[in-house]
Amino acid sequence: MSEKIVFEKAKERIEHIEDVLSSVAAGDLDVRIEAEIEDDLTGVEEAINILIEDLTYELKQSKKMREELEEKLSKIEDQQKTIIRQQDDLLELSSPVSKVWDNILILPVIGTLDSQRAQIMMENLLQKIVDTGCTMSILDITGVPTVDTQVANHLLKTVTSARLLGADCIISGISPAIAQTIVHLGIDLSVIKTKATLQDAMIYAMRKNNQLTHGKIKSDHLSETEETE
Amino acid sequence: MNIDLHEKKIPIIKIRDFLIVSIQVDMHDKLAIQLQSQILEEIEKTGAKGVLIDISVLEMVDSFIGRMLSGMASMAAIMDAAVVIVGMQPSVAITLVELGLEMPGVDTALNMEKGIEMLEERLSNYNTL
Repeated sequence: MSEKIVFEKAKERIEHIEDVLSSVAAGDLDVRIEAEIEDDLTGVEEAINILIEDLTYELKQSKKMREELEEKLSKIEDQQKTIIRQQDDLLELSSPVSKVWDNILILPVIGTLDSQRAQIMMENLLQKIVDTGCTMSILDITGVPTVDTQVANHLLKTVTSARLLGADCIISGISPAIAQTIVHLGIDLSVIKTKATLQDAMIYAMRKNNQLTHGKIKSDHLSETEETE
Repeated sequence: MNIDLHEKKIPIIKIRDFLIVSIQVDMHDKLAIQLQSQILEEIEKTGAKGVLIDISVLEMVDSFIGRMLSGMASMAAIMDAAVVIVGMQPSVAITLVELGLEMPGVDTALNMEKGIEMLEERLSNYNTL
């Protein structure tokens, strides 16, 4: 008789443990097993209680960490956006083409050239040549620290494309280091007009300009004198 | 379709010593070959000293057309006429350079006015010789 009672009691307690465990599994961490009697099962009940405590603590901890991580991630994403925006700005800012004189355009290049930048630079210059109708353009690379094969290739392409449009393109400001690299790389820049400084290039461009207009004036003048004769 | 292609011709206008060709339709290979012989025949017939080819409305030039243009320049040079290609668009220039067609023997000008000036200057040099 008493055995049956003990058995019933134990069954009840085990059911209680099951209930608690299932509600913990469902997410309710506030429930605990209430131990009424001290016996063999009490140890198990206490152990489960301790486990639940530990679990609660760990969950809290991991939630906190996740929040921190998310915060950091959003911060990093913001920073990434800023970097991308600044890169775009830099690309836009880094290739200004300005008309400095009748018929003369200048494109000062500052900083390292990569193929993307060189491409944008080339497109800008060609578009500006077409828009303004200037036939002389100066590509000043004083501010470019080093040149590799790709960049030299891009410079060549720019000059050739400008020629195809019907405009002359001079490269100025080739530093000793760049001259050395270009020759060592075996790139032939002899087809391109190069000048030591921007000043030299300007002088050359203006002389050529003058020649063009003077030539015209002279021929006009000639035809007039021929007529009077 | 074939008959259409043969009938479609690009007009060649002669002004003084120059021929002016304005390409205003998309070039396909047949039309290009036809234009080439058409221009050369016209040079022979009129004794023109210069040819101005305006490609300002061409959005795209493929390697065939590019080769045709540079080939025509050398052919015309043998016939004592200078070819100037006028008004090339930046995108076209970039494409040609990427294709490796740098057209070394061909003269180019930004617009028709500059092209005519160029040819006139050349002609005056020619006359003084």
